[in-house]
Amino acid sequence: MTARQTGRRVQAGAVRKNRGSRSTPARRPARRGSREAMAPREKRRLLQLGVCCGVFVLLVAVKLLLPGRMALVDEKLTGMLERNIDVAAVFSAAGRAVSGETDVSIALQDMYQAVFSPQGAEPAVEASSVAGGEEVALSLPGAIAPLRSFRAGTGSADGWLDQPAPPAETGAAVGADTATETSPGLTETASASETPSASSLAYVLYSAENLPEDVCLEQSVLGFDYATPVMGTLTSGFGYREHPVEGEERFHYGIDIGAAAGTEIGCFADGTVTAVGESSSYGKYITVAHEGGFTTLYAHCSRILASSGDQVKEGDAIAEVGETGVATGPHLHFELHQGSRYLNPIYYVALA
Amino acid sequence: MWLWHERVFVSGGFVLLTAWFALVNGWQLLAVILSAALLHELGHLLVLGLLGGRVRALRISVFGAELVTSAGCLSYPGELAATLAGPAVNLLCGFVLAPLGAWTAAGAHLALGIFNLLPVRPLDGGRALYLLAAWRLGPAAGEGAVRRAGGLAALALGLAAVWLMMRTGGSLWLLPAAAGLLGVSAGELFGR
Repeated sequence: MTARQTGRRVQAGAVRKNRGSRSTPARRPARRGSREAMAPREKRRLLQLGVCCGVFVLLVAVKLLLPGRMALVDEKLTGMLERNIDVAAVFSAAGRAVSGETDVSIALQDMYQAVFSPQGAEPAVEASSVAGGEEVALSLPGAIAPLRSFRAGTGSADGWLDQPAPPAETGAAVGADTATETSPGLTETASASETPSASSLAYVLYSAENLPEDVCLEQSVLGFDYATPVMGTLTSGFGYREHPVEGEERFHYGIDIGAAAGTEIGCFADGTVTAVGESSSYGKYITVAHEGGFTTLYAHCSRILASSGDQVKEGDAIAEVGETGVATGPHLHFELHQGSRYLNPIYYVALA
Repeated sequence: MWLWHERVFVSGGFVLLTAWFALVNGWQLLAVILSAALLHELGHLLVLGLLGGRVRALRISVFGAELVTSAGCLSYPGELAATLAGPAVNLLCGFVLAPLGAWTAAGAHLALGIFNLLPVRPLDGGRALYLLAAWRLGPAAGEGAVRRAGGLAALALGLAAVWLMMRTGGSLWLLPAAAGLLGVSAGELFGR
C-alpha cells in the first residue's frame, strides 16, 4: 500500500518530466522513492504500528474470550498453510507443453493438479467435470453382497456391515473389527490424539501371536502402478488400536486418512468398481478390484462418483471424503485386500 | 527493513521469501528461478547499456528486482526496447530450453517472462504499455491507457485468483497474489 503510494508519486513526477524532455527517471516505478519526505513516512510507520497493535490486541481478546472458536480457526489456518503448491511440477508442465512433449490440455491439467493437489494422483480438472454428474444410486442389498465376500474367509460375514456386533462376542479378530466399525457408541476419531496410541501399540502389532490370521503385515509386491487416494494426515493406522469408549483393543483393518470433506478420492490403481453402497458403519463406500486379486475399499465417503461395473483408472475421482457412517470427522477409511487377506495399506500411500 | 550496500538494496521480505521458498521447494528450484530472474535483469541491462543508459541502483524486494536508471538519456522506443528485453530474454530461454528437455527451467523462464508481460504497472508489461501509449499518443493518454488497462487486467486476475481459492477450498498460497492484484487494481482505477 505504502509502496504503491510512493510509487505513484514518483510516477507522476516522471510523467511531468516526460512532457518536457521525454525522459524517464526510473526503469520501473521506484517504489521507495523520495528519501527527503521523512515526516509522512514516519506518520505512516506509526499508523502501521498502531494497526499491528490493534490486530494483536484483538486476536488476544478473541483467544481469551472464545478459546474453542480460536482453536478451530487455528486448525483451519494450519491446514490452509500446509497446502503447498508443487512449483517444479507447474514449471515442468509448462516446459513440456512448449516443447511439444505433451498436449497443452494435458499440461494444463498437470499444472492445475500441481497447484491444487500437489503429489496427488488425480487429474483434478477432468475429475471435477466427471464429478459434476449426479450421485450414483446406491443399491444397498446388491452392493453389500460382494462386499461381504471380502470377509467371507473369516467366517464372520454376518452382521459386520449393518448390525452392531455385541462387543462380548468379539473373540474372533474379525468380530473385533466388526465392533470397531459398527458399535453405535464407538467413534473412529479423526483427531490426532489417537495417533500416539496407535504408535505405542506398534510393538504389540509386530510381536503378538494373537494377530488375526487374515492379516498380513508384510509388504507385498503389487505388480502395478498405484497412487495415494487422498493426501491428508494419517489419523489412525493399521493394527490394534485402543477403543476410545470401551478402552478395549481392536484390530483396525485399514488406515484412516483425515482430509477435508469433499476432497476427491482418487482410485488407488486401475481396476473395476465391484461395489458401491451404504452401511451404518462404513457409511457410503466403494470397492474396486485391481489385477492380481487385489481389492481396495474406500469408506465414509460423502459422495460416490462411480457406479458398480465402471472401469476406473489410477487416480480417477471415484468418491469424495466425508463422515458418513461411524466417524467423528471427515476422513477416508482405506483398506487393501489380497484375496481374503488384509494388507497394511501404509506401505503404498504417501502422506503429508 | 532494507539492507543495502553501495547502491544495492535488498528488502528483508525478499530474504524471508527466498528462505521460505528454499525450505519448501529446495535449493535447486530456487537456483533455477533466481537464475531466470538474473538473466531477465541482465537482458534489461544489456539493452540499456547498448542505448547508453546508466543504472543508478538495484532494489530487490518481495515483488522482484527493480533497476533504477539515470534520467534523461533514453527515447521512448529506446526505453521500450530496454523494458521488453527482460521478458524477451526469458521467453527466448524458455523456447530454447524446452526442446532440450530442461522442462522445469524452461517453464520457469516462460512463467517469469509471461508474468512480467502482464499489462499491470509495476511489471514490465504495464511499463511497456505506458511507454508505447505515451510515445504514440502523449504522456497523458499513456497514463490513462495504462491505468484503465492495468486496473482492469489486475482486477480480472485478482478476481480469478479469489475465485480459484474459493473453488479449491481455500488454499492460502494464492492470497498474496490476489491481494496484490486487487490492491494494484484499486490504485490504478481509483487512485489520484
